[in-house]
Amino acid sequence: MARPTVLERLERLPRRGLTVLALQGISTLVPGGWTNIRSAEALIKEVIGDDDPALIARIRSRADLLSRARAEGYGRALSLYDAVNRSQHAAGRVRLLATVSAGLPLLKRLADLTPPGDTLQAVDLSLKVAAELLAFTQVNGLPGDSFGAFGAALADYAGEARVRMAALICFDALLPLGDQALQRLDGLLGAAGHKDLQRLPAYRQMAGLMPGRGDQAHLSFLRRGVNQWLGWAGGFSSELALTAQSAVQAVESTLGPWQGRLDQFAVFLDAFTDTYAHTGVQAVARRLVERAAAEV
Amino acid sequence: MPRFLRWILALSLAGGLLVGAVVLLPFADWLPGGTVGDVPTQQVVNGTAFNRLFPAAAPGEELVFSQEKRGFSEARLKRSGELVALLAISDTTTAPEARDKFAAATNSLAGWPLVEQGSQASAVLVGGRFQVKVISQGVGLDAQARHELLESFDLKALAAVRPRRIGPSTPAATFPSLRLVR
Repeated sequence: MARPTVLERLERLPRRGLTVLALQGISTLVPGGWTNIRSAEALIKEVIGDDDPALIARIRSRADLLSRARAEGYGRALSLYDAVNRSQHAAGRVRLLATVSAGLPLLKRLADLTPPGDTLQAVDLSLKVAAELLAFTQVNGLPGDSFGAFGAALADYAGEARVRMAALICFDALLPLGDQALQRLDGLLGAAGHKDLQRLPAYRQMAGLMPGRGDQAHLSFLRRGVNQWLGWAGGFSSELALTAQSAVQAVESTLGPWQGRLDQFAVFLDAFTDTYAHTGVQAVARRLVERAAAEV
Repeated sequence: MPRFLRWILALSLAGGLLVGAVVLLPFADWLPGGTVGDVPTQQVVNGTAFNRLFPAAAPGEELVFSQEKRGFSEARLKRSGELVALLAISDTTTAPEARDKFAAATNSLAGWPLVEQGSQASAVLVGGRFQVKVISQGVGLDAQARHELLESFDLKALAAVRPRRIGPSTPAATFPSLRLVR
């Protein structure tokens, strides 16, 4: 069974749809904006600044060879993004069902059974941040010889994927948890128990990849990972003045007006968009092409 | 063994195999092995060995390492926050065809063959094995500036680099983040 390579995945990304509209909305908050790159050829041209077809073809075949090599980790990073994306959809749909059924007397119990809760949302966000960290090491290795160099590489990568990070902060922190989300996050994670963790489908897929054994060890790993990320994310969101309100306005500019509550909007986006996997494929493809271009 | 017990055993074996395959399917990417071009990793120099051979950043410049894999290391050169070039050293053991372009090279740099690749990239082949490349980004660098950058790599030390004999490739080697977070 041949799995699609990273560049094939890039070419299969949707040109329009809710995901693209949501990202376009968020990108109005980020200087530099975002282009929905879906063509491997255009990406290669952008990286090498040249349009020699023979050279592009060589880079393309090298990139495909690299992404088929399991040990190189490009495919692994995508499988992490996919796992998180599936989990987000599943959780979003269950909560959507709960929201809808809360209005129907007979189904009210269903709503009681599925408390989305701020804690669960916080654990979900921390899983995404952890997936990001694990995917980073799969794609880029451990660049540099010191921890400082590694930190610089991480910050540089995040800065490059600004729209991706802005989407993560807005859709998974500010909208569901409110404007104080980043400040509240550590406290929420502290209150999380292993039951909250087990509720998230992505956790079961990521558990084996996280250091430590058992849910408690994983929770403390998630907490540490998030604390690392929070420092950066706090600076980033105050630099761009991100708030739940500005995020909703930005997305409304492309998706149309939203009448409901903010956390319902977050549930809706969780259930029907793939912003995390979409931008993930684009970020991995760019790093892969940069490597292939240097190796041919 | 009674006949029906044999049937049950056979069916449960087949069922177990099927379930196992389906459960493992999403993890296919995480199985060990699968190196570039099926070259054993021991024959390829680890990217860590390349890091210290990169040029030191001049004042006002910043060198941010971006990728480090077996046989490859890459850094981004920034001037006052603006990305100007990608610098990379790669081991051509996994990409022997990359050496072909140097056969026709007419120029040389510090004694090693030098080629231009398109209008934005220059590469030099050191010791017949290691390719050092500068790809300019954004506003870009001219060929002269790229050659100066190539010269400021520690090419002499690079020519002497050999793959270090390490043990058989271990799971820890394929999943480096474990070492990081512990």
